Order: sequence, then C-alpha cells, then structure tokens
Amino acid sequence: MVSSPAKVTGPPPSRPVSLASPDQLADPAWAWAAYEPSAARPWNIALAAHLHRRAAFGASWQQLQQALSDGPQRTIDRLLRPQADVDIYNRTQDDYEDAVRSVNELRAWWLRRMIESPHPLLEKMTLFWHSYFATNGGAFNQAGLMTNHLRLLRRHALGSFAPLLQDISRDPALLVWLGADANRKAAPNDSFVRPLLETFTLGPGHVSTEDIQEAARAFTGWFVFRDQLRYIPREHDEKPVRLLGREGHVTGDDVIKTLLDQQATPRTVVRRLYRWLISEQDEPSETLVAPLAATLAEDYNIAAVVETMLRSNLFFSGQSYRARVKCPVEFAVGIVTAMEGMVSTTQLAQDLAELGQDLCHPPTVEGWAGGRHWIDSAALAQRHNLALALLQGDKPYGNKLDPWAVAQRHEQASLESATQFLLKLLVQDDVDPDVRDVLLEAARDAEGDTPTFLRRLAHMAVTLPEYQLA
Amino acid sequence: MSHTRRDFLKAGLGASALLSLGPVAPRILAASRAGNRDTVLVVLQLSGGNDGLNTVVPYTDDAYARNRKTLRLPTADLHKIDEHVAFHPRMEPFLRLYREGHLSILHGVGHPKPDQSHDRAMRIWHTADPERPERQTGWLGRAADHAWKPSAVETTAVFVGPIVRPFALNAAHATVPRIRTAQDLIMRTMPGENAGQHALADRAATSPDSDLLALLRQATQTAHAQSKQIEAVIEANAGSRGYPSSGLARDLRTAAHLIRADIGIRVIFVEIGGGGIGGFDNHANQLGNHCALLGQLAEAVSAFVGDLQRDKLLDRVLLMTFSEFGRTVKENGRRGTGHGAAAPVFLVGGKVKGGRVGPHPSLTDLDNGGLKFHTDFRQVYATVLDRWLGFDSYAVLGSRFQSLNVLKT
Repeated sequence: MVSSPAKVTGPPPSRPVSLASPDQLADPAWAWAAYEPSAARPWNIALAAHLHRRAAFGASWQQLQQALSDGPQRTIDRLLRPQADVDIYNRTQDDYEDAVRSVNELRAWWLRRMIESPHPLLEKMTLFWHSYFATNGGAFNQAGLMTNHLRLLRRHALGSFAPLLQDISRDPALLVWLGADANRKAAPNDSFVRPLLETFTLGPGHVSTEDIQEAARAFTGWFVFRDQLRYIPREHDEKPVRLLGREGHVTGDDVIKTLLDQQATPRTVVRRLYRWLISEQDEPSETLVAPLAATLAEDYNIAAVVETMLRSNLFFSGQSYRARVKCPVEFAVGIVTAMEGMVSTTQLAQDLAELGQDLCHPPTVEGWAGGRHWIDSAALAQRHNLALALLQGDKPYGNKLDPWAVAQRHEQASLESATQFLLKLLVQDDVDPDVRDVLLEAARDAEGDTPTFLRRLAHMAVTLPEYQLA
Repeated sequence: MSHTRRDFLKAGLGASALLSLGPVAPRILAASRAGNRDTVLVVLQLSGGNDGLNTVVPYTDDAYARNRKTLRLPTADLHKIDEHVAFHPRMEPFLRLYREGHLSILHGVGHPKPDQSHDRAMRIWHTADPERPERQTGWLGRAADHAWKPSAVETTAVFVGPIVRPFALNAAHATVPRIRTAQDLIMRTMPGENAGQHALADRAATSPDSDLLALLRQATQTAHAQSKQIEAVIEANAGSRGYPSSGLARDLRTAAHLIRADIGIRVIFVEIGGGGIGGFDNHANQLGNHCALLGQLAEAVSAFVGDLQRDKLLDRVLLMTFSEFGRTVKENGRRGTGHGAAAPVFLVGGKVKGGRVGPHPSLTDLDNGGLKFHTDFRQVYATVLDRWLGFDSYAVLGSRFQSLNVLKT
C-alpha cells in the first residue's frame, strides 16, 4: 500500500516558468517582443516542452535536448523552417492519399503525418485551419473532396490568409458540406456567406441580416456539380449589391476582398490564433490583439503572426504555460512522439473519434470548441483508457510503444535513472512534490519487472491532470 | 439539480474514501440527494420507419383490413388495449406495461412537412427543425450544450450502441461520447497501478494558479469515483436480470447500469434497427422481420423497466421511442409498405400518466398514403425537455411548443 503523501511545509516550490507582471501584460511591446533567456527567466526543459506542445505535437527526448542546447530562438527557426526536405516528404504522402477510398482512411494518413512529418508545425496549423474552416466529410461520395480540402489547408497553413480565404470560397468540399452547392439568382443561398461573415472574417457582432443577404447575391452563379465547381453566368445576379459601404456590381471575389479590408477580419484571425498558440484561459485584451492584427492586415502573412507569437515573452510566460487543454489528437500524438514509435493510425483515428475529435468530421462549421469543453468525466475516463491501450504493450496497438526501450536508447540503463528520465520526458518534472512521490512510490512498491514498472509509470504520468494541458 | 452531488463530493469525501467503500459508495452518493434526484431521459430510435399501424393496430377499423390484405394481423393474436386498438402479437410485454400504467401511447405524432426520404426524414427528427433540416446540430446536442456549465465535470448525454452516433446528439460545444458498454467508462489500469492512481485522484481538487488545472483535477477525481461506481454496479448486477439476448437489450442494460451508477448522465440514446436505412424499412415481406423487431423491442424495454423497478429507479426514468416516419396505410403488392407520415410514439416510465393520448388518426383521410399527424413531434420534445429534464425547450427548439399533459407531477 501507498502511504499518504507527506505534508509539504515551507514555501511552495518554485515553478519553472514565471508569470508576467500586470505591467508587462499591459504592455504589448513587452508581450510580443522576442523572449531572451535570463537568470530570472531561464530557458529550461519545461519551456522547451511547452514550445513543442504548441508548435508541434510534443517532443522526443532528442528534440528536447537539442532545443535545450540551441536555445529558444534557434529552435523556433527550425520549427518554422526545418532543414529537412519537407516538400519531398509531403509529396510522397500526397501520393499515398491519392489512393485512399474513404474519408476515414484519410484520417489515418493525416495522423501519420502528424506523428512523423519533418515539419510538425505545418500539420499543427493545418489542424488549426481544419477547425477554423471546419468541413465535415461524412456525407461525401468520394474521399477526393476531403483530400483536396486538406491539401488546400496545408498549402496555405503558414502562407497568406488572403488566398486561403479566396480558395476556401471556391472549395467544393466546404460548399457541399454547408449545402451551398447551388447559388441561383432566384434563390440566393446564405449557407456559405453566413459562416464566411460571422465565423471566418468579421465575427458575430459585426454582421447584419442585410449584409448576409447582399453577400449571398454576390455569390449567385456558383455551383458544385459532381464534386466540381462551376460558374453559370446566367445564374449570377447582376443587380447592384450594397455591402459594408461598397456598392455596385459585386462578385464573390469582391466580397472576399471587401471582407479582408475590414478591421474586424484580422482581429478574428488573431484571436483564434491566440487561443490555439497562447491561451484558452482568457480572451486577449484589445491592446494585445491590436499590434498583431495590424501586422496581419498588411499582407495577411500567417507565418509572421505565428512567428511573433511563438517567439514572444508572453508565449514563454506563466500566462501561456499549460494554459490550453490538449485536444485528443494532441494528447495521443504527444504520447506516440515521446515514445518514439508509430502505432496503427487507423485504430487511433477511430479511438480519437470516440473521444470527440473525429478528424475530417468536426461537429459544426465552427469546429471543435476546445478548452473546457474537452474536460468531463467520461472524456477523462476515455483518455485514461486510450493511454492504457497505447502503453500496455498489448492489443489493440501491440507492443509499439515501450518506455523502457526509449530510456535505454538514451542511456538510462537503471530503473532509477529511467524513472527520472520518464518524468522529465513526459511532465518535465513539473508536478507537485507529493505527486512525484506518489508516482515513484506507487510504482516502485508494486509488482513487475523494470519494463512493466516503466509502462505503469508512463501511464500514470500521462493520465495526470497536468499532462492534459498543452 | 445535479450540483448537489458535486457539492457533496467537493465537501470533503475524497475519491479514494469513496473507492474504499466499494459497492456501498453509490448508495451514499444517491442518499446525499434524496428527494432531489436527477431525472433521466432515454431516447430509443427505431431506424427505418416503423409501421405504426401494425404496432398499435386499429383492429376494428374496416379500412385496416381493407388496406392490409396480406399484412393484416389476425385479431385473435392481438393484445387488445380496448375495443379500438391492440398491440402487435409479439408485444404482450407492452400490454402489461400499459395496464400497469407505465406506458403511454401518443397517437398521430408527426409534423407538417413529412419527407419520404429516410435521410431527410431522420434529419428532421434529429434536428427538430423541419424548416432547416440542414442545420448542424441535433436537438439533444443542443440540449447538452445548454446544460453545459464552465465548471461542470459530469457528462450530460451519451449514445450507447455499436453504430455511428446518431445526429440528434451532435453538439456545437459539448462532447457527447459514444460508448458500447458501461465498461468503456471504467478506468482500466495495469497490474499494480491501482493504489497509485487512487492516491493521485485523492489529492485536493484545488489549484492555486490555474483554473483549467483545477477543473481537470476535479474531473479526474470525479471520473475515478464514477468508474468505481460503475464497476460496483456491474458487479452487483452480474446476473442476467431478465434481459433477453438482443442488441437493444444489451444497450438498455448498459443504460440501466449508467442510471444505477448515478453519475449525472441525463440523456441516454439507444437504437434498434441498425442505423442507416434501418431494419424497420420493410418494402417487401414485412411480416416476419417486423415481428422479430417488435418482439425484441417489447422484450428489451420490459426487461429494462423490470430491472429499474427492482431498484426503485423507474420513477427517475422516462423512455421515449421515435421513428423517422410511419408507413403507408395500403400495402404495396409485395407484402410490404411504403414510406408514410405520422406514427405513434411510446412513453415509458414510472411517472407517465399512461393510457392513450389523442385519437388514432383516420385510415382514410391520408397524407400521401400515410397517416395525418395531429401532434407535432416538437410538442413531445418540448414536454420531455421542460417537464422531464427541466431544460429550457425554447433554447433548444427555438420556438415554444405546447407541452403535452402526459406526465405525473
């Protein structure tokens, strides 16, 4: 049996990541300036792991060590612009995906990319846009529609929001899913323009019913027939449209341009990026959003904003550290990445669907709500059981992930050192001392040989509340 | 309503203290809320379009015999409710439930825009929106969204079954899981791991510096406590408890486990017919197949009721059936029927008023060959949302629908 954890006395242990002061938070110049390690805010394994949770799907031991020796800015350089030939990798994967017959199969290929891509940030941002322009392929006749949709998102994921939005407005997958595959002059369809205005660009408070009606007329003439986009000029309404101060003959492309000119649009994008990269704990203040929105409005360069966020003081502060809930995909892929293995992603895609994140099948056009919505008792029980399935070395995933083998690979040959190693790898030792004691003690006292012991420890670590946070 | 149990948990009886109580724990939890217990809605989908006319049979109506040359059920085999209608020969358990006052028949339930396509008709019942069936959330998903609170850690709604989760449960924000058995919510461990997990779960669910972490600690603790409760319930009910061996019986048994475990779930969705264009879609040679399905339905529901009664839980549970449409009054020349319109809905539970509600629709004044509705299905939804679950039906349905006076107060 485990004895009760000893009472902790004295001052609370120092945290590896320090909170920014209220003055600093109120100053966007400080918040968005590049983080420089200092004695007060040292670069450490907790921050290296934090960076990899946000800009990738977690890290292997080797990646953490590399990051520690390179420092934050060089690590970010590599995450943004990897040395490896990403194009060759992605083209090979594209070829595999061309052969898939079902959307469900496509999910598995995508998960594989998340696990092994030399450019995980690109996949991370593709996942971001998948929830931003959320398209559900459940009703598609062919997987190709969804394959092309994901390819579109990946192509622009770190590119420019302007052509991304333009391509999205002509994406058969999104239009079919929204029921916007017929836009007749006699019956303007608002199924696409409503989310275009309310979700993708201006945001709900900035849109009137008239705006939506007018914008819908601008998009008349566009159809999707047999998964192909078609424009039928005689179905286009030539009558003048009044939209956001603009008046005259307006096409769909003009609507996109007009929306990109609105101040609200870059703000919407920045706020969503903030939730994805910085924090779900609170909404960013207008002061923090403004400078990034201004930068984005210049040329809609997504990578520039992502880069500013990742390099920033705010990103490496306590306000951002563990301030997001891992979505199920981040949770599972993070375990696989840390354990340096590859599992059946067909099985994993299915298990993640049960956890509420069915890739290629987001619940609504607004994507997965995320944050607190991932947390409830059933979801945590399911995460616990999925982690067990991944780590127990048995069916259904088989013996693909083996903590002891990973520890040995990194020259941790004793039970004692392998234990320290796992706690550093999985939670960077950043858990309360009593939790640490329980983990060590419970596992040490219990039955089994070293490999079993370490599987148990790994499972207990990844089911900790702390581990659910990104 | 459900905060009572959470407050109780928070109040100091930590998870492992509960765990050490073993099977006693659930009863303690339940007792803490005596008189203030949560109601549970079980929604049972009959996939494929159930033939209401051969389910609740208007056996004295000449038009029934006239239109059902081969499908007419022999009067002598029927289970007569009164001098007008009778249950299908395989539905004797429903007659018993009816006589006991635990079953209501809502006749003529439908809506003004019946659709003869399975997909669209089902979508209408799932979205509760005949005007906008393309909308992206289901009525129970919206109910789960509205029940959601930032500090809540209990799961509101689940689907139990082997098929893809029905669209009715699609929520914009809340996570509505599909589970196959109650075991799916039991937290399995590796050998030797239990003690440590319990020690971890037993830690105070407070956190000085992060709201998300505090919530996660509380949810983890709750998940462990619930896992133990479910385990205890399964162990205590290992016997057959009178359930027949059918998929629906298995799923309702799981539902009973979840209800008994008392873990805060308010909505449980189950299905018979296999999803897709389901088993109730009998365009040819309907008799045998329909017989088997109705037999399974009646036996499974009656076993479920008996199971709940044994533990005095029936007063907390309301089961509601539905199907995407009824079938044509006239059979089709292939010993089958086409897609119809209105059909009966059954309400089963300890608090139903029982009896027949509304007249049986006319068999001669028809809607495209099917029965005309007189009760909008959204009135049924509004009734179960407002009067049974205590949710706000206006928020879920977007309009006010007149409640039906079918529940005891």
